Amino acid sequence: MTHRWFASLAVSALTLFLVAMLSVIPARADGTAPKADLPSAATPTPISDQQYLTGSFTLERHLDGFDAPLTSTGEFALSPRKGLIWQNLKPFPDTTVMNDQGITRKHDDGTFETIASGARFHQFIALISAVLAGNWDPLSDQFTVTPTKTKTAQDDPGWQVTLAPKDNNGLSEQVSQIVIKGDEFVSHVTLHKSSSDRDEITLRNQKRHDLPLPDDLANLLSGNSD
Amino acid sequence: MAVRGGIWGILLLIMATFAIWQVTSGKARIDGDVLSLIGLEKTDDTARKPDIETVRDLLANDANQAIIMVSANQQDMLETATRALASDITNIPGTKSVSLPGYDAGNLARLSDFYLPHAQSLLSDRDRALLRDGNGEAVYQNAVKTLYAPASMLSAASLRADPFSLLPVFLAELGNKLGSSGIVQRDNHFHTPIIISLSPDLRRQGPDIAWVGKVNDAIANAQSTADQSDGLTIAKTGQVFFAVAEATAAKSDVQRIAIIATLGIFAMVLSVFFSPLPLIGTLITVGSGLIAGIAAVTLIFDGIHAIALVFGASLIGISVDYALHYLVLPADGKSPTARVATIRSGLSLGLLTSVCGFAVLAISPAILLAQIAVYSIAGLIAAYVTVLFILPLLPVRSVKHRSLIPRAYQKFDDTLRRLQLPRLVRGVGALAILGGFAVCVLFIPTDDDIRHLGHGNDTLTTQARLIGDTMGMGGNPVFIRIDGADSQTRLQTGEAVQNALRPLIKDGTVGSGFGLSDMIPSIKRQDENRTLIKDQLFETYAPKLAPLLPINIQTPNPDAPYLHADADAFAQFPELANLHDGMTDIVRLNAVTDANAVATAIADIDAARLINPRATITDQFAHYRNWATAGLAIALLIAGILAMARYGVIRGLCVLGTPAGAMLVALGGAAAIGITINFFTIMALFLVFAIGADYVIFFSESQKHGQQDATRFAVFLSLISSILAFGLLASSSVPVVSAIGTIMAIGLPTAWVLSYAMCPTSVKADQSDA
Repeated sequence: MTHRWFASLAVSALTLFLVAMLSVIPARADGTAPKADLPSAATPTPISDQQYLTGSFTLERHLDGFDAPLTSTGEFALSPRKGLIWQNLKPFPDTTVMNDQGITRKHDDGTFETIASGARFHQFIALISAVLAGNWDPLSDQFTVTPTKTKTAQDDPGWQVTLAPKDNNGLSEQVSQIVIKGDEFVSHVTLHKSSSDRDEITLRNQKRHDLPLPDDLANLLSGNSD
Repeated sequence: MAVRGGIWGILLLIMATFAIWQVTSGKARIDGDVLSLIGLEKTDDTARKPDIETVRDLLANDANQAIIMVSANQQDMLETATRALASDITNIPGTKSVSLPGYDAGNLARLSDFYLPHAQSLLSDRDRALLRDGNGEAVYQNAVKTLYAPASMLSAASLRADPFSLLPVFLAELGNKLGSSGIVQRDNHFHTPIIISLSPDLRRQGPDIAWVGKVNDAIANAQSTADQSDGLTIAKTGQVFFAVAEATAAKSDVQRIAIIATLGIFAMVLSVFFSPLPLIGTLITVGSGLIAGIAAVTLIFDGIHAIALVFGASLIGISVDYALHYLVLPADGKSPTARVATIRSGLSLGLLTSVCGFAVLAISPAILLAQIAVYSIAGLIAAYVTVLFILPLLPVRSVKHRSLIPRAYQKFDDTLRRLQLPRLVRGVGALAILGGFAVCVLFIPTDDDIRHLGHGNDTLTTQARLIGDTMGMGGNPVFIRIDGADSQTRLQTGEAVQNALRPLIKDGTVGSGFGLSDMIPSIKRQDENRTLIKDQLFETYAPKLAPLLPINIQTPNPDAPYLHADADAFAQFPELANLHDGMTDIVRLNAVTDANAVATAIADIDAARLINPRATITDQFAHYRNWATAGLAIALLIAGILAMARYGVIRGLCVLGTPAGAMLVALGGAAAIGITINFFTIMALFLVFAIGADYVIFFSESQKHGQQDATRFAVFLSLISSILAFGLLASSSVPVVSAIGTIMAIGLPTAWVLSYAMCPTSVKADQSDA
C-alpha cells in the first residue's frame, strides 16, 4: 500500500522522538517493583495520571560533515494523559504539540497548523503512559532494551539503557540506536540515526507537578489558541 | 451403420481426450471470473484500449485485495485484536501478504532515496501557491523551524539536497491525496484496517471459498475471545467475499435443482421404457454434445468463459430432444437404418434452424457470444451425428404405454388435439405473434445493471458501505481515465484533473484522488517548480538561511535531470503500474459521493473521462444484449425462410409462429412478474426459440413418415426433461438464474401447446390414420 510510506513519515519521526522522551520520567521511587530482566535502577517509576512533568532542554543536532551542530534550547511539558509540548525558545521561538491526535505547530499568530494527524498517534502517548506505569514492555515490541550501565556505587545512582530498533519495523531505517542516561531523572538522550547523524538531547530542571495543567499548557494541548 | 458408429465413437474419444488435455494442461483454462473475458472484443482500433478492458484490468487488480476493518472502543484493545486477527489471516493458505496501515511503519528510506535528488523540482500544492503569491517568507519560516523541530527527520544529506525542507511537505501532501488510512476515530470508536493481498491464483483456481471460510472462522474467533465491553466489531469487504457469497448461493440453488432434475429425468426415462438402455442413449447423446462443444471452443479460443460454458451446456435441452425423438420410435421390426430415416429430415431441419440461430451470434464482435455460438453449434452437430450413428446400435426398447407418463401424456394429447384453427386464422395469428414479439422486444423495459444480476448480500453490502464511509477504502471504485500519445501529455492532463478535483475534495464530494502525476509531476510542472523555487525562494531567502546552515547553499541547477515516469520509477515502485497502462493513465478516486459532479468538473478536459466500472460493465452487457437481440431477429428471419421454403408461405409462417409465440408469451409472462430484459434473458429466449422450433418441426416432419404419435410423445418427454433441466431454475434465489428459468418455464410449455395449434394437419393425419 503506497500510502503507508507517507503516513509513516511523521509517525517514524514522532516515534523516535517520543521514545527518547520516554526516559524523561522519574527513574526511581519508593515502592516500585523492579522488572525481572532489568536492573532496578533502570526501572521507570509509576506516575499518576493526575501528574505532569516539566523541564528544560538543549537539543544538538549533529549532521554528518557539518562542523557545528544545530543547537536549540527551550522548555517542555509532558502529561501522560494529554501529550507533549516542546517549546523552542532559541534560536527561534516555535511550539510543537504532540498528542494522540497528531502533531501540530503553533504559529506566531496563535493559529495551529496540523503537521500530521490521525488517531494512530495514540499509541505514542500510550507508550509514555505504559512506561510511567513502570512497564518497559510496550517498547520491547519495537526495540531491544538493554541496560548497558548499572549502578556501580552506593553514591552513584546513574544508569544507562540502550534501545536498538528491531528489524520488523521501519524504525530501523531511521535510527540505529538510542542511548538514554540518567539518575533520578533522565539527563541525556542520544539518538543515533542510520544516516550517521545524531541528536543529543540534554534535559534539566525536571519537576513533577499535580494536575490540573496551567491554562497556557492546557490550551496548547487542546489546540486552543486563546 | 456399425462402421460409421465406430468411427464416430473414436472421433468422440479423440475430442474428449483433446478437450481434457487442453483444460488440464492449462492451454485452455476455464475461467470463472466475470471480468476475465468480457471486453475482449475484436476491434480495429489497436492503439486505444476500450474502457471495458481498462476497467477489467483495474478491477482484476483490485480483486486480489480484501479489506477487514476492526473497530473497538479502546485503542489498546483494537491493536491487540487487530494484530491477532492479522496473524491468523497471514497463516491462511491463499493469503499473499497482510499489512496493517495503522501500525506498520512504511518504507521511508526507499521513498526518500527516490525523491531526494529531485527535491528542488517538487513542490506541494500549498508551497506552490505560497510561492506563486510571492509569499516565500512562509516557506522560509517553515524551513527554519524544521531545522530545530523535535520530530524532524532531516539529515545532512537531505539538507544539502533540500535546504528549504520542501520535500517533507510534498510527501505529507502526497499522503493526504492517497486518502485516510491507519486509525480513524469516530463516535468514541476507533477503527483500523487490515489490508490483505490474495494470491493471484486464489480466485482463478477456485479455493477462494475455503479461504473465505477460514477468514470467517478467524473473525468469529476474534469476536468470541473479546469482552462484550470492548465493543469489538469486524467488517469486511472485497470482491472475493461478494464472489464467494454469490457463488455459494448459486451453487446451493443449482445443486438442489440439478439433483431434482437429474433424478427426475432418470425416473422419467426408466418409467417410460422400463430399461436403462434409453437412458444410456440419452446420456451418450448429451455427453457427445458437451464433449464436442468444449473441444471446439478450446481448439479455437485460448480459454472458455464460465458463462459460455453454462450456456453452451444448456444445449442439453436441445440435444435431449434429438435422442428422445429417436428412442420413442416403435420397433415395428424395422431396421435401425429405416428407423433413423423416419426422423432424419426432422432432425436435420431442427439442427439447421438451431445452427443458423447460434451462427448469428458468432458474427458478433463479442468473444463471449462467439464462444457460446461455437460451443452450441459443435455440440448440436455432435448430438445429431450421435443420434444418427450410435443410437441405432443400441438394442431397441419400446415405450411402455401403460406406465404413468404415457397415460398422463395421452390425456394432454387428447385435449390439445382438439385445437383446430382454420388455416387463415393460424396464418394471421402467426403474423400477429411475430409483430407482437417485435413490439415486445422493443418496448419491454430493459435492465442491464449488473447489480441486479446477483443474489446480493445485505450484510456484505452494509459492511462495504461502513468501511467506505469510515476508512475511505473499498466500495465501488471510480476512476478517471487519461489518454494521451505521450507520457508528458498524460501527466499534464493528470495535473489539470487534480486542479479540477480540488474543489470537490475540499467540499467532501470526493474523498481523495491519486494518479501518476501526483507521484511524478510533468516536466512542465517541474520546470515551473524550479522557477518558483529559484525566483521566489533562493534569491531572497538563501542569504538569510545560509548563516543558520553550515553548508554552502547551492542555487538550483536548471540543467539537473528531471524526474521521469520511466522504467526505473516503475521498477522502484511497482504499485505505480496500477496507475498506468500503455497510453492510458489512471486517477483513482476514493469515497466519491457524486460521480456526476466529478464528470462535470472534468468535462472541459478532453483527454480525461470518468469511468465508473459498474456503469461500464453494465454498458457492456447492454451491448451484448443488443447483439443477442439482433441475432435472435436474424435467426427468426432465417428460420422463417427455411420454413416457408419447406412448407409454403402460410404453413411456414405457422411453423415460425410457434417459437416466436413461445418467446412472446415468455417475455410477457416474465414482464408481468417483474422480470426485465437483459443479456441473459435474451439468451434464454434463444434456447426457447431453438427448442420450440424443434418441437414444431418434429410435428410437421412426422407427417411425412407416419410417426406423428411417436413424435408428439417424444416432444412431450423432451418438454418434461427441459422443464426439469431449466424450468426449475425459476425457483433459484439468484435473480439472473431465476429469470432464465422463468423464461424457459413459460416458453417451453407454450411452444408445446402452440405446436398443436399451429400444426393441426398432423392431428388430422392421426385421425385419418385412426
